[in-house]
Amino acid sequence: MAIKTILCIEDDRFIGEMYVRSLKKAGYDVDWMVDGNDGLVAARNKQYDVILLDVMLPEIKGTDILESLRGGSEDLIPNSHVIILTNFEQDDESRIAMQKNADAYLIKAEITPKKLISVIQQLKDV
Amino acid sequence: MGIKKEPKQASYFWPGFHKQTIILTILSQTIAPILFGVLIISFGNFTINSTTFWIIIGLTFIINSIFGILNNSHSIKPTKDLMAVINHISGQQSKLVVPELNTKRNERTGFRDALQIIYRATITKEPSKKYQDTKSTNLASSVLAKSLDITTCGFVTLDKDHKIIYSNKSAPVHTNSEGLKELDLIFNVDETLESWLDNCDKNAVRAEHTWVRVPNSLPNQEDRRFFDLFVSYEKGAIAETVLILIDRTNIYSVDEENLDFLSFAAHELRGPITVIRGYLDVLEEELADTFKDDQHELFRRLIVSSNRLASYVDNILNTSRYDRRHLKVHLVEDTVSNVYDVISDDMMLRASSQNRLLSTHFPSSLPTIAVDKSSMSEVFSNLIDNAIKYSNEGSSIEITASVAGDFVEISFQDHGIGMPESVVGNLFQKFYRSHRSRETVAGTGIGLYISKAIVESHGGTISVRSEDGKGSTFIVSLPIYSTVADKLREGDNSNENLISEGKGWIKNHSMFRG
Repeated sequence: MAIKTILCIEDDRFIGEMYVRSLKKAGYDVDWMVDGNDGLVAARNKQYDVILLDVMLPEIKGTDILESLRGGSEDLIPNSHVIILTNFEQDDESRIAMQKNADAYLIKAEITPKKLISVIQQLKDV
Repeated sequence: MGIKKEPKQASYFWPGFHKQTIILTILSQTIAPILFGVLIISFGNFTINSTTFWIIIGLTFIINSIFGILNNSHSIKPTKDLMAVINHISGQQSKLVVPELNTKRNERTGFRDALQIIYRATITKEPSKKYQDTKSTNLASSVLAKSLDITTCGFVTLDKDHKIIYSNKSAPVHTNSEGLKELDLIFNVDETLESWLDNCDKNAVRAEHTWVRVPNSLPNQEDRRFFDLFVSYEKGAIAETVLILIDRTNIYSVDEENLDFLSFAAHELRGPITVIRGYLDVLEEELADTFKDDQHELFRRLIVSSNRLASYVDNILNTSRYDRRHLKVHLVEDTVSNVYDVISDDMMLRASSQNRLLSTHFPSSLPTIAVDKSSMSEVFSNLIDNAIKYSNEGSSIEITASVAGDFVEISFQDHGIGMPESVVGNLFQKFYRSHRSRETVAGTGIGLYISKAIVESHGGTISVRSEDGKGSTFIVSLPIYSTVADKLREGDNSNENLISEGKGWIKNHSMFRG
């Protein structure tokens, strides 16, 4: 099934806007949440094909959002791919924990919007 | 009434024995010329007043004595070495030097084995109480222990099982729940004291090693101290390993605070870098058709500069990780060419925007290497960046690779300003900047430091050949994958389910839910 809908949870307005602009231009239907709690609600209410998840968010961390969505007995987002985006690399333990519930873990400073789109397109190929 | 002589210690044996054998040798050699003289006078060849007679007798005496002493020295050498070992084991003071066990002669003659048997036999026993009980030894021990407790240098001795048998007050040591003393030192995983000692146990009789900047605790823990550590090892000695620790906290903690700040700043810098690189990427695509005249070149310079900024930030973060013992490499099988491809576009852009000609030649027959592509591409980037900085406009930079034994050597050659020998020795030190580079070229002084750390984490080496005014060649040697494959499989260093993407990862496509 082709990827069409994307939820971007990113509190940095410059970065969020940059991703949204590029992704929309590439033809995706993008919702952008600046607040982590709003992002969690959005992810629960609508099945997105891809969720772009920032880690360092105020109030609730991206890793906690992921835990709420996938850590329980029931996977609340069974049809979603999750891409974690961060500039603060996690320690080994957190990275291993994330490998269970996420499909990619990328350093924002290392990837351009073009690269992000190519990663999303790789997901589509599955 | 005769004077009762006190029994002597073992250390008295050798000087007496040596003197005695020399006297006996000379006496025995005196008899031969006397007999010879009597014989030639008896047969009437010479008279006792003849000068020739006395010359012959004198020469006979001298030659006999020389040969006798030489022969004697050779014959009693094993006794001398045995006494040296016995004195050494007993702890008695002696001028005798402990023999070097590992000589070919000792191996060939079996004497090494003999001495090792003595060492082993004595290690299994408690040190001789006899000498510990003497007044003078007790006094010396007590004075020594008190002196060692006053000094700010740490002093630790280990036995053959690497257990602490003595530590002074300044040594970073704690007692564990089983009542055993343990060192509070955090070594780099690839060069621990334990692994060095294991290696010594297998391969060395005597060895020495130095570690610098070894912390006693992790960052952010209270009372973090840094030590330079000098270790001596001597197989079979009562204290087989001796550690001398010099507290350098006042020097290294300043660097550490700088690194803390730099690390924090570097993480913060990644935000704006993401935005700058991202928008340049977006804008390049949107505006490319509208650029006029040299605007395209100006835009390229923006991209090159933002990429360089990202590299510097990566260097700072890697240095911080390395110094905190957090730098890890995940070695997998890959080619030199694939590593270079990660940075190829960026390097070409950097070189062309600064008018340098960058060329690569990686033979297709080159074997694969064990490499962490993301970290090694940063090393390549640092070396190429240096080659660009320290060469002249219009000059060429060549990157080539070849096989050298079990390693692939990758050379980065420039034809720039080069370096004098005095600079080369310090090049890989942290924050080192030569006087000249400080004046002429911008830089942080950590690029080569972290490059060396990354290369060594791969089990490789980095070296430099340079000639003042003619250019430099940096050579990175990395292990051929097949030579380390078994070891890597044991360590489960790869994760086949993940594809690395910079410092991140993407799950292997076949593993995706879908």
